[in-house]
Amino acid sequence: MIFRFAVAAIGIAALTISALAADQVEKAPPSGAYKKVSELVKLPDFLPGLGQLYVDPKTLPAGPFLAYDHDGKLVSTVYMLPIEDLTNKDKRFDDLAAPGGKVDHVDVYFNAGHPGVEKPHAHVVLWHVPKAAETRVAGQ
Amino acid sequence: MPSRRHVLLAGGGLLAGLAWPRLPLAGSPAEIRMQGKADGSHVWFDPIGLHVEPGQIIRWINLDPGNSHTATAYHPKNADHPLRIPDGAEPWNSDYLLPNETFSVMLTVEGVYDFFCIPHEHAGMVGRIVVGRPGSPPKESAHQTIPDIALQAFPSIDEIMQRGAVRRT
Ligand SMILES: [Cu+2]
Repeated sequence: MIFRFAVAAIGIAALTISALAADQVEKAPPSGAYKKVSELVKLPDFLPGLGQLYVDPKTLPAGPFLAYDHDGKLVSTVYMLPIEDLTNKDKRFDDLAAPGGKVDHVDVYFNAGHPGVEKPHAHVVLWHVPKAAETRVAGQ
Repeated sequence: MPSRRHVLLAGGGLLAGLAWPRLPLAGSPAEIRMQGKADGSHVWFDPIGLHVEPGQIIRWINLDPGNSHTATAYHPKNADHPLRIPDGAEPWNSDYLLPNETFSVMLTVEGVYDFFCIPHEHAGMVGRIVVGRPGSPPKESAHQTIPDIALQAFPSIDEIMQRGAVRRT
């Protein structure tokens, strides 16, 4: 009996570890529940300044959004935080996932809205590449 | 080149009958550009105010490479928005236009038409068209659910009539 419990426990532990390790995000498309934003809402597939975005729809509007360059390499993780929530004392954004690994630098700026996140909001961009490499998502 | 074209004829029954002989007036469409800053921090219609003659075609084009926009009439048929187009005029909704896509309407009923962009109404992305003589302005009432930033953005009818096109970029 004890042996069978131990096997079951190991089984559950193994499942949990593999579920945690499963989300591959380095290369587009990321695994897990991430969906391409341009297939969820009507937006250009490649957004100048951000790149190609993926998000788990359950996490909208905050994200994380994963942003990829033309070669499908992860360049940034983006959070989109509605201004009305940021100025609401009773609203918090806690424990947002950050699957992208090492962060080189961070940009924060206002966005007037777009399909998917219609209310004016702040973009919080965790860049996983150096400043000079931001050009990889600059133009078309 | 625009990758998609929509043409909607608004203004109701007039088009079916006596109005047809006036259609040659529609030769040159008046253009309203949908624009935005590269980082998406500011979006707008250019011009924001426009005077046209009845029967002239108005064409919106999305020139913002990083965003989608709509041209949508203030009308209860469009997601319960307040009525801000003339009585008897047909409402329109372009739906989302991707970069370089266009949408056109022909307005035949004279008066003042207010319109908005669905994802950017809360950022004040609205516009106003006067067709022919303005008549009475859109009714303002306390229970209208328009964001203040949008209400404040409409150019005055006088300014549109004096200048023909009002730009605020
Ligand atoms: Cu817009």
